Amino acid sequence: MLKVCASISLGLVLGQITSHAQGYAPAAAPARPAPASAGMSAPVGGMFESNTFLEMASRAFDPSSDSMDFENGSFAWKGRTFNLTSQRAFRSRFERFLLASPTEEEESYALLMDDVLQRLSVANDRSDDAILETWEMLFRAARFDTDGGNSTIVANQVFNAWRIRKEMRGTALTQRELADMRRHQQTVVANRALILEKIQEQKEHESVRTTSDKGGKGKEANAGALPTEGAFRALELAETEAKLIAMEGQAALTGIQAKLQMQSQIVAFLVQRRYQHALLLSGFYQLLFKGSQQQLEVGKGELKSFFPNTDMVFTVDMMAFVANEAITDVNKGVVAVNTAYAEDRAIIALERLQETFFLGEYMPELNAIPVEQRRMLLDLYRDMMEAVELAEAKDYNGVAQYAERIGLIAKDFPKMRVLSSVETAKSMSDMAVFAASQYRNLGDIDKARAELQQAIDIWPSNPSIREFQQETTKLATAGSQGVQIFDDLYKRSDHRGIYDRRMDLGFALAEDPVRRPLLMEVIEQVSTIDLLVAQSAEALKQGDPYVAWELLAEAAKFDPNDAPMNRARAELAPRVADFVVYLDRAQRQAAEAQHAGSLAAFLAAQDIYPASRMCREGIERESSALMAQLSEQAETGEE
Amino acid sequence: MPTLLAKPRKSASIWIGVSLMVSLLVVALTSGCGDKFSDLEVLPTESYMKKPGDFLGNTYTIRAQIDSQVKWEKGVGRILAVLPESGGARLPVFVPDAVGGNLHIGQRYEMRARIEAGGLIYVESLRKY
Repeated sequence: MLKVCASISLGLVLGQITSHAQGYAPAAAPARPAPASAGMSAPVGGMFESNTFLEMASRAFDPSSDSMDFENGSFAWKGRTFNLTSQRAFRSRFERFLLASPTEEEESYALLMDDVLQRLSVANDRSDDAILETWEMLFRAARFDTDGGNSTIVANQVFNAWRIRKEMRGTALTQRELADMRRHQQTVVANRALILEKIQEQKEHESVRTTSDKGGKGKEANAGALPTEGAFRALELAETEAKLIAMEGQAALTGIQAKLQMQSQIVAFLVQRRYQHALLLSGFYQLLFKGSQQQLEVGKGELKSFFPNTDMVFTVDMMAFVANEAITDVNKGVVAVNTAYAEDRAIIALERLQETFFLGEYMPELNAIPVEQRRMLLDLYRDMMEAVELAEAKDYNGVAQYAERIGLIAKDFPKMRVLSSVETAKSMSDMAVFAASQYRNLGDIDKARAELQQAIDIWPSNPSIREFQQETTKLATAGSQGVQIFDDLYKRSDHRGIYDRRMDLGFALAEDPVRRPLLMEVIEQVSTIDLLVAQSAEALKQGDPYVAWELLAEAAKFDPNDAPMNRARAELAPRVADFVVYLDRAQRQAAEAQHAGSLAAFLAAQDIYPASRMCREGIERESSALMAQLSEQAETGEE
Repeated sequence: MPTLLAKPRKSASIWIGVSLMVSLLVVALTSGCGDKFSDLEVLPTESYMKKPGDFLGNTYTIRAQIDSQVKWEKGVGRILAVLPESGGARLPVFVPDAVGGNLHIGQRYEMRARIEAGGLIYVESLRKY
């Protein structure tokens, strides 16, 4: 009953472990049992080994440059930090680049952009006509797909600034007119007040003189009309002044707005790695605004994250400098990639290409990388990404295959380091499975479970784990029948049959105090026979048939009915027939207490094979027996 | 005087005759008429090896060289492995203490032996040759 319970328990445990391994069980982390401390246990550092492999695989297969940090989404370049998109998005863009081929249109675009930038240079013609012509070239540039419409944005920004400037000129004119009107209105208001005062005085004199009796009513009416007109004139003046102030404020605001818009766009171009457009807009900005307006007043947050370790004042010139520096670095990166590739350093070429690609993704200079080289690097990139995923899934066979493939493409790939780590991890898992089997056969379920869990953690797809599972299932079902099978075989002295079923019987008789020692004895006996038969075969290979025979004769002492041993003897007998005849005769006569005859036969056999251990022992044994017999006879004779 | 001379001549011939007879007797004794080895058959070793029991009670002569001493027990004797002159495998022979003197490996002996129970070759007497 206890065995049945143990079998069920082991079956459930196995099911639980394997379901975890296959992802059927909930993802909650299983309680990690204490590692086995027996000598057969795999090293406790199994997980450490697994982690070490993952770290190694990440280092070996990760094609990304050290400057690219996909976890934090940042790309560090000369102390500046770009916002790196997710790895998947970057990967798609990078692969698209590797699949693309340079076109004539892109070359034309590159030439046009160089021309535009050249025209904006300080050293060139800076007349209004030249600037206008340069501005018009932006619309030509915008027609190219590669441009992405950014030249239009630059042109619009410049046009906007020009329009604002024109509007400001019109505003200045209106302001002057309003100022004249204000002055006139001020005069009118001031003169009107004096005239009204005089008229009022004249009217007062006339009314006193003509209408002395009814003077009170008319005086009140005139006095009420004069202040109303004055107020009206004053209101007009106030309105004119308000318009003037509003116009002054609007003009100032429009000017600032144009400047800020251009500054924002320059920063945006730089952060988006559109260095050529940043340079274009910077060039126009410097033409449109005077020197005192070069300090950046917008985009400080973006610039702070772009230049994380600086307290300097950001200016448009500084943006242009950074853009120029980036363009130079892209050019150098392209040269480095081509050089590394030419020297069979494909891994280095791929790493540098990723940096260069991200920095100069929109730069025509990347077209200097040949198409064939791009395709090869694409294959390498995809293989390495696939290998990383296989390593994370702990598919060691797949990792080894990809390591071989990558090793063929890239001579500088550390293939042997990868393969060595793969073998180590696989061995660790196999050892853990072996330890689990040993514990299971000894009936120590907890330790077997711990070892199996460790084997799964190291190498989930280890085929030995499935074999272990099948064996255990078979053992669990055969457990209840084991006693009967053992008794039958033991009764028939079929030791070989017991040995062949030792796994099943070992599990079934694990707690049987009577049969288990017998089982162990039989297993040891048959193991010894197998060992002697194997040694005999080896001796025969070395051309020593008599030694081979003696080993088989030794094996026969353990079980003369063992089939493999008897088969080996039958095959060997013709080669040592003379020797065997004497030995058989010696043994037969010894059995009949014919010691002298037996001794004679042993001596004859020893003449054939002088080094025979059987003969030496037989001679010693039979001569002693014979001498004892003679001695007894001598004593009897004396009496 | 002739008489005196004739007596000594007669006694001398008698002594010569006696001595001749003794010599003939010695020669006869030493040349085989009364020899205890020469009238025996040589042990057929091949047949003996196959079935020693068939030779029980028989007496044979064996001319052989001592190969090794297998066993010795004081007061009983020694078991020797001897190499027969006739060829074949080595044979075990038992030499009782009373028969054997100083026996050394490599010495050649002619032995008178009887086949005892169990096929034992029991040496009754031996001499070097």
